[in-house]
Amino acid sequence: MYDKEKDLFAAFAAKKMSRREMLDRAGRLGLSLGAAAVLLNAAATRALAADFDWQKFKGTKLKLLLNKHPYADAMIADLENFKTLTGMDVSYDVFPEDVYFDKVTAALSSSSSEYDAFMTGAYMTWTYGPAGWIEDLNGYLKDASKTNPNHNWDDVLPGLRASTAWNGVPGAELGSADAKQWCVPWGYELNNISYNRGLFDKVGVQPPKNLEDMVGVAAKLTKDAGGPYGIGVRGSRSWATIHPGFLSGYSNYGQRDFTVTDGKLKAAMNTAESKAYHKLWVQMIQDSGPKNWATYTWYQVGTDLGAGASAMIFDADILGYFMNGGDNKEKGHIGYAPFAANPAAKAPTPNVWIWSLALSSFSAQKDAAWYFIQWATSTEHDMFGARKMDFVNPVRQSVWKDQEFRDRIAKSYPGYLEQHDLSAPGAKIYFTAQPLFFDLTTQWAETLQKMVAKQVPVDEGLDQLAANIDKQLKDAGLG
Amino acid sequence: MSSAADVPVARPVRSRIMRRALPYVLSLPALLICIGILVPFFTAAYYSMMRYRLNLPMLKGFIWFDNYIAFLSDATFWHTVTISLVYAGLTVGLELVLGLGIALLLQKPTRFHNAASILLLLPLMTAPALAALMWKLMTNPNFGVLSYLVSLLGVTDFKWASDPSSALFTVTLVDIWVYTPFMMILLLAGLRSLPKQPFEAAALDGVPRSFVFFRITLPMLMPYIITASLFRLLDSIQQFDIIYSMTQGGPGDTLLVFQVRSYLEFFQYTNVGRSAAILMVLWAITYFLSNIFIKQWLKLRERTRGLA
Amino acid sequence: MDHVSATERIVRGGLITLVLIFFLFPIFWILLMSFQTNETILRIPPSLFFEPTLANYTALLTGQLKTTAGNLDILFMRNLGNSVLLSTCAVLLSLLLGVPAAYAFARFRFRLGENIAFTLLSFRFAPPLLVLLPLSLYFKQMHLTDSYVGLIWVYQLICLPLILWIVRGYFEDISPDIEHAYRIAGHSWRQTFIRIAIPLARPGIAAAGLLAFIFAWNNFVFALILASASKQPVTVGALAFVTASGIQYGQIAAAIVLSVTPTLLLALYAQRYLVEGLSLGAVKG
Repeated sequence: MYDKEKDLFAAFAAKKMSRREMLDRAGRLGLSLGAAAVLLNAAATRALAADFDWQKFKGTKLKLLLNKHPYADAMIADLENFKTLTGMDVSYDVFPEDVYFDKVTAALSSSSSEYDAFMTGAYMTWTYGPAGWIEDLNGYLKDASKTNPNHNWDDVLPGLRASTAWNGVPGAELGSADAKQWCVPWGYELNNISYNRGLFDKVGVQPPKNLEDMVGVAAKLTKDAGGPYGIGVRGSRSWATIHPGFLSGYSNYGQRDFTVTDGKLKAAMNTAESKAYHKLWVQMIQDSGPKNWATYTWYQVGTDLGAGASAMIFDADILGYFMNGGDNKEKGHIGYAPFAANPAAKAPTPNVWIWSLALSSFSAQKDAAWYFIQWATSTEHDMFGARKMDFVNPVRQSVWKDQEFRDRIAKSYPGYLEQHDLSAPGAKIYFTAQPLFFDLTTQWAETLQKMVAKQVPVDEGLDQLAANIDKQLKDAGLG
Repeated sequence: MSSAADVPVARPVRSRIMRRALPYVLSLPALLICIGILVPFFTAAYYSMMRYRLNLPMLKGFIWFDNYIAFLSDATFWHTVTISLVYAGLTVGLELVLGLGIALLLQKPTRFHNAASILLLLPLMTAPALAALMWKLMTNPNFGVLSYLVSLLGVTDFKWASDPSSALFTVTLVDIWVYTPFMMILLLAGLRSLPKQPFEAAALDGVPRSFVFFRITLPMLMPYIITASLFRLLDSIQQFDIIYSMTQGGPGDTLLVFQVRSYLEFFQYTNVGRSAAILMVLWAITYFLSNIFIKQWLKLRERTRGLA
Repeated sequence: MDHVSATERIVRGGLITLVLIFFLFPIFWILLMSFQTNETILRIPPSLFFEPTLANYTALLTGQLKTTAGNLDILFMRNLGNSVLLSTCAVLLSLLLGVPAAYAFARFRFRLGENIAFTLLSFRFAPPLLVLLPLSLYFKQMHLTDSYVGLIWVYQLICLPLILWIVRGYFEDISPDIEHAYRIAGHSWRQTFIRIAIPLARPGIAAAGLLAFIFAWNNFVFALILASASKQPVTVGALAFVTASGIQYGQIAAAIVLSVTPTLLLALYAQRYLVEGLSLGAVKG
């Protein structure tokens, strides 16, 4: 790095000159905006270094296992700063998302010590944790000698902190006092409506206010939009079909997947309200959903919105975000709205997916790996990703308050900030933590498919599902 | 037919021993290279007799054949058996007929036929996982070119892989597209290596073509047919990529074939015991079916050796 | 069979055309997609007319993808190289081990012969998923994880049974008479094997080798589980374009075209052996 630039950024970081002045001078020194961003973050990182011995594990070699994802891309762009800060050498293996978790499961189940830290979701830690493959990070977060004082763990949204912590007892509340922190939130997505403003204006409808309204609006769009279908939701035979919009709406009615009595779990999908909800949902898909709904995953739902084949989606807000850019046909036309399915509810209760970082129990250098994790989830890095790269949604409240970030979003993504701010308080994982999560949620999706294909009526299907699930819970000693 | 070893030439004792050892020397390296797989195989068989779930380590225990006994009363298990066998039977059968037909069409070694036979290998060269991805796009109701073409014929609401009634058809179609070239190239090479005399004699005698085909061509081609079908059967009954990429085993549980089920059990539910048990059943079925094929093949070879 | 009527020729021609259309249309479509971006690929309804772009190929070949988020590094050419290395070595090893073994089974009746042959075939019965987890554990102990040698060894499970049984069929079909004549003339079995048997069975060896190459090329589960990102084959590389921000169909199409090319070249090279048929038809009685 050149000295003149370094001094320039150091001065800015120390708040000795205004932002405009800094950018002016940076431009005059011939720095592009991208390069300036990284160098600026370097200065911020150096400022971060002041109060803590970052160089403690100098010379260590870390290896990360990452999913091919914009979050990983943003981190890799900033990685040089970490290397300079700590003197560590970091290499990483990136795998496509389709096969990523297979690789993680294979690596961890064979006790491989190749990877020190890796990306994961909260649900996976319900397996990795009890299996003894990942470390309880409370030991690091609460230890002042291991975590730098600026880490500000409390800055992370409370719903996310709780959702990534579980005490291992099936059915116990996430984020309880005795919960183990299995991973640190890195970036997250909540589920709301992303819609095509052009199509909505053309047909003359507003984003729906509750589920019945949604069924009606979707039907109207399918009829009058001249080609596109009303609403895109996932439908593949996978837990990921229940997890996004479906569970968010479901939870809005106060419904749960299981009831817990005396530590015993019992299936709760066949309550009367649940059946009513399922009926509406199934009808919505049959009338206004994608034709090939049963094979729809994240990708198909997003692609259709981005290419103008659907009028709205009830899925991850960041999916709508990505479809508003790139080389999508409908870029610039997407709007965002919060959605509370229950007319009697006060606010949305979106289920969330949290990409997080976990520490492998088989790593030979756990403390050093913790340095990486705390740096990657630091406010500085979060801010950098949010402001300069497409790192949405950031997990820290301070980043959401940052004016530069808010300006950037408000300019190109109308309604995005509002839907997030309204939904964030209620945004957490609404599933019950238990070891059979993937089995049972996949069966739930399978039943949903059968109901949409009219192979089984809703009431009967849900009763059968509940009976089936109760039997499996009993066999596993959970029910 | 006598083997080379029976040629009456005087040989010293040492050479006789070497002659006896020769076939072993030739074939054992191949065996030894692969024999290592038996260790993981027996480990897996061992797992299949345990209750072993990675995220419920406290329940781990040896339960003998309980996993298998549980299958007997499990409706989804029987469905898996049925759909796997149906899928394998459909794909192998249709690909055999199609492959044979194409091989017959391209039998004469002209430059055009040769070029066509090589080009027809292209679907096989596309990795099944990627081919399924492309077919998924092509059958997409909005952007899919196949959906578009089909709609031109008046069929507007064909659900391809997302409806239980058409899912099997769609994945079979993709499978046929990918794997028929396999049959075709083996049968074509077989057809081209058949001796010319019987056909020339039949032509001279004015024998009708259907007779020639059924009484001369087909019997001579039978060993090749058996080998090609056997390998296709082995692959088809273990099919994973195409079915998982297109429907993940759905819709509902329509296409939950063995390897898809086992993949879900291991990689998603981390149920090692059950995953291994499912695959051991698959292995047993495969062993049984292959045995039949090989016995048939050997019988044909015996007959040929006896005749020649 | 030279008295082919005109109708028959037309029917034959028609059928061949239909076959070519069915199998090659998707390939043609993929080729077209590789010159487009998502914007034109995802049009309703799909169309044959578009403005071609070389952006996908440039991205793959140079390893740099320009996106709104900046320049991303792509490992695709590395994956392609891995596939070439793994498949070639695996098939060569299989041919080296398999062809002599096939000859042994075809020519010699020896005790345990059929047992060994069937055992070698039975390695194909083991579904990969069955053995993968234990295999990864043992690989770790043997320090073979993330090594080309380990992968080429595992690939034998795919290639060897195929080559063995296909080539065996060809050896069986070749009458031993020529070989007998050659041996009586004073040559050793090795010379007979190399000078007579192998050339006569060339079509079978070519077909088996090509097919084994294709199957090794298309396999990715072994490399995925047993190796790190730098040794992944081409299929995994292509799946990298299925991203959270959208499936980049254009790049996947370009990746498919690039990954099919080496195999196609190999097939064109092996073609002249494949089409030989039994030379001169002079041997079989």
